[in-house]
Amino acid sequence: MRKFIPESLLIILPGVLLFMLSCTSGSCFEETESYLKASFYDNVKKILHAPDSLTLYGLNNDSMIYNKSSGIQPALIPLNSSTESCKFIIEINGITDTIEFHYSSYPHLISKECGYTFYHQLDTAPKHTYHNIKDIYTGNKTITNLNVENIRIFY
Amino acid sequence: MWRTFVYSISLLLFLNCCLIQVHAQDTIPIPLKIKVGLELAGPVTYYSDKNILNEEGYISVDLNEKRSVLFAAGYLNFKYTQYNYTYLNKGSFIRIGMDFNLLKPDKSLGKYWAGIGLRYGLSRFNSEVPSFQKTDYWGTTSSSISHRTNWGHFVEVSPGARAEIFNHFSIGWSLSLRMLLYSGTGKDLRPVYFPGFGNGTKTFSTGMSYFIVWNIPYKKINAILKKEVKEDTEDNSNTGTSGTNSTTVTSGNRQ
Repeated sequence: MRKFIPESLLIILPGVLLFMLSCTSGSCFEETESYLKASFYDNVKKILHAPDSLTLYGLNNDSMIYNKSSGIQPALIPLNSSTESCKFIIEINGITDTIEFHYSSYPHLISKECGYTFYHQLDTAPKHTYHNIKDIYTGNKTITNLNVENIRIFY
Repeated sequence: MWRTFVYSISLLLFLNCCLIQVHAQDTIPIPLKIKVGLELAGPVTYYSDKNILNEEGYISVDLNEKRSVLFAAGYLNFKYTQYNYTYLNKGSFIRIGMDFNLLKPDKSLGKYWAGIGLRYGLSRFNSEVPSFQKTDYWGTTSSSISHRTNWGHFVEVSPGARAEIFNHFSIGWSLSLRMLLYSGTGKDLRPVYFPGFGNGTKTFSTGMSYFIVWNIPYKKINAILKKEVKEDTEDNSNTGTSGTNSTTVTSGNRQ
């Protein structure tokens, strides 16, 4: 038995090596976008409450992020990596508000396959109008590609 | 071609070991050697992929028939281009550690090695991201990460095999299983690839090396072989002979 071990090492290990070499993956399977995650709360009951209709888009950007969408919870808000602030038009159940974020951005390597993205750090609490939004609570100020809540919107 | 090379080298080593003829004896002379090795896979790979040049060599000194200390040093020049970024890394590394031969002296004869190495690695590298692009809702943002110097630390387990195919020259391979201790870059800008370790975005990395080694004998020792009675004594009682002893080897060595 003891004589068998070293010789078997010479046979088995190259097979293991070939197997490992053949399993190298080159595809990106991770989340590459860093969204600000905003949860919606009922301002009276203080419980999670998704809007019946949500419209969201960036100021000076024609493209809609959400267009009268229902059941959105949380909303994923993309911040502009090339500026230090950006403003969004948000329409909750037909009533329009604006939210403005101030932040700093920095590069983050996701993986060799996925490359780099930008993470953001909120500098101040978001500024907003009070038509339908009653309050915004800021939780985690670091905005990453992880599924972590950043703000709570009470309406 | 790569797989054929791996298979051919391993088969050669295996056949060499099978051909060893050993006779039972009380001691066996084992030459202790200073070994100077040069890694071959790095330069060979460079001919097919000009984006990665890895050069490595080592010096190893036998302490006895089982153990040897090793010092390795190398250099890496790495370029990686993805659809949205380019990464450059250039630097050098050292490894220090010990090799353990699992072959018995009557198998190894000072010429054959199949065992495992344990190493600590230290890497100093300069990395840079000349450009990367990120496209999102707001459009495409282009940026870069300027040149920075970092130190990386890792440990390595390295099983492998070597065989002396010509007088004073060996060839062999080793697998490297590495664990990153510290990349020196922080969690946001981990190195895509760094010298001696490989993919720095993961805690563990693997690699394979092929070596050609120049062996310089510097001392000869006698490894003691201890006679042991074979467990199966049934044959002895049947035949009435007493010559069925087998041999095992102690780890002792004497000049």
